[in-house]
Amino acid sequence: MASSVLTDSRWIARGAERTSLSRFLLWLAPWAALLAVGVYAAGLCLYHGLNQTNMDNRFAFGLWIFLDLGIIALGAGAFFTGFLVYILKRAELKPILNTAVVVGFICYSGAVAILMIDVGQPLRAWFTFWHPNTHSMLTEVTFCISCYLLVLSLEYIPILLRNRQLRKLPSFLVFEHQLHKLVPVLAGVGTLLSFFHQGSLGGLYGVLRGRPFAFRNGIFIWPSTFFLFILSAIATGPSFLMLIVATVEKVTGRKLVPQELYRRLGFISGLLLAIYVAAKSVDTLIWLNITSPSEGFAPWQFYIHKPFGTPILFAEIVVFGLLPAFLLSYRRMAAHRGWLLCGAAMACMGVLLNRFVLTVQTLAVPTLPFDEFLSYIPSWQEVASFAGVIAYGVILYSLSYRYLTLFPKGDETHVSGN
Amino acid sequence: MFPGIDGFHWTIGHIVFLSLFFAVVATIFMTVISAVWRTNRDFQTHRAAALCWKSDFADLPEKDRRCRHELAGRVIRRTCDNAFDCRHCEKYSQFAVLPATRRAQSSGLHYPDDRFYHRGHTWVKPEEDGTVTMGLDELATHLIGDPDSWVMPTVNDEIELNQTAWRIQKNGKEIQMRSPLEGTVVAVGSPREGWYLKIRPRLDLRDPASLRHLLRGPEVNGWIARELERLQMQLRAPNTPPALADGGTMLPHLMDVIPEADWEIVLADTFLGT
Repeated sequence: MASSVLTDSRWIARGAERTSLSRFLLWLAPWAALLAVGVYAAGLCLYHGLNQTNMDNRFAFGLWIFLDLGIIALGAGAFFTGFLVYILKRAELKPILNTAVVVGFICYSGAVAILMIDVGQPLRAWFTFWHPNTHSMLTEVTFCISCYLLVLSLEYIPILLRNRQLRKLPSFLVFEHQLHKLVPVLAGVGTLLSFFHQGSLGGLYGVLRGRPFAFRNGIFIWPSTFFLFILSAIATGPSFLMLIVATVEKVTGRKLVPQELYRRLGFISGLLLAIYVAAKSVDTLIWLNITSPSEGFAPWQFYIHKPFGTPILFAEIVVFGLLPAFLLSYRRMAAHRGWLLCGAAMACMGVLLNRFVLTVQTLAVPTLPFDEFLSYIPSWQEVASFAGVIAYGVILYSLSYRYLTLFPKGDETHVSGN
Repeated sequence: MFPGIDGFHWTIGHIVFLSLFFAVVATIFMTVISAVWRTNRDFQTHRAAALCWKSDFADLPEKDRRCRHELAGRVIRRTCDNAFDCRHCEKYSQFAVLPATRRAQSSGLHYPDDRFYHRGHTWVKPEEDGTVTMGLDELATHLIGDPDSWVMPTVNDEIELNQTAWRIQKNGKEIQMRSPLEGTVVAVGSPREGWYLKIRPRLDLRDPASLRHLLRGPEVNGWIARELERLQMQLRAPNTPPALADGGTMLPHLMDVIPEADWEIVLADTFLGT
């Protein structure tokens, strides 16, 4: 029975049980406040310039670039799930397809927003397309990310148009139907774009000859980091999706996807993570024994600066690489939901640690004899913008979960009171 | 980068990159243009209505997508996967020959045998002049009572199967009645006259398959029994646990008698709304 005057039930899909509007608004309120602070901080950065940050000419990659690389890697679940479902015809992953698209859209739009603040001069944003630096991998990244965000928007539109009220417009519903039929084309394009921009994001560190801690040899024009970034992104994308779905299940008290799907995602993630760890280990050994010495550097000297010692390298490869690969892919461990999610969380932390090392640690360690170890603490404006993107993601996902159909109705079952 | 722009060179690298980039951009835009073109074509060829209904049907809860043969008791359990379009159902004939086990129960509602019933609670009655009359069934009439107002199509309008035939306003809610048949409107009635529309069907009614998608006989009994069960659950008093039916007949003017019910959901479930 309807008890409150303020209700949004007409916007909620038929048969979907959602919490009351007042409780939902209460949930959104702190995130909206955080987003407001983030927008204010971003406004300060855009209005006053990058003097609002603690970055400078020597420490030009800070929290924002770490966030960009991190969320773009975690958002890889979108293109990879689309690739598995539409190209490899793995229909069992369909229940998480919509959530993968929404998460991907949030990650990429958040990354583009932060990039716009980081680059500054938004009125000249088009310069990057019209006067691109043809020798920079960032050009490829810019083009691919822009195009892929467009693809994700087009994949998001059919989900949006299926909203209970929007679908009442026949033209919307038919357009949704026709666009949905063409989504496999978009999934193919998305895979191509993602493959290149994930790779180029890694590649642009690998080509930094002036930063021997990051510099790598590779194949043709692509340093090894190009391939490692692709591998690590597709390995952790499914893990991140698992974590998102598990969190939503916990918050809403509903079972949204079958447990078998978790195991399937875990196995895919674990297997790819194992391949990544093997490749990363070989790459590290080559760098330690060949690349770095050939450039005139003793590789271990990069690890004498605390807190960036060898434990970080160990953590990256073993604790957040090999261990989660085992937890996710070993059948007995993956049978326990707790271990499975623990493995997924560790895999995500591993990819974030890798991006942190390549951005912050690369710039912090000295290269030239007169260089000093640089330390950098982000300003409140940087942290607030960062937090604003997180809040944006939570708000957009919450709205999508409430008003759109992200999971098949048959799979959505009540678990506990909420 | 681009020809005519500083930094562009006719090198293999530039040409390959630009070709790839423009191929991707062209694919994205062609995809959108193709979707728009197909949408436009669907409207021009009257396929849009069928697509909308299929989408709405897919959105119905599984309990509302029961096969007519399950309602009649010819099969134990079967979910319709053909958008209630028995005219083109390959399994229809296979099950139609089975004996119906559903017996008529006294629901206090009158469903004459000379009519065919749509799951959106409208009926169709073939007339001798080749037209058909359409109206609201007994359950819908009891639920709505006297409408506050209604919006009807005009004579010569085309109406499509399962799309909105007419609208009824009641207590601030708008109810869209789905058309049980496609055709051209030849006369417009009103609630007072007991019928709403007369149409000339697009299909030849001499073909027995033309009305096959509509319910008759024991199917109607099974369907109405389930509808009453659903209503009993949805209209029970707040904080009351579900209880077994205790007989009795349905009260008229339910929307007036129980205004506190969540009519948004009840009406959507009853009239196959979205």
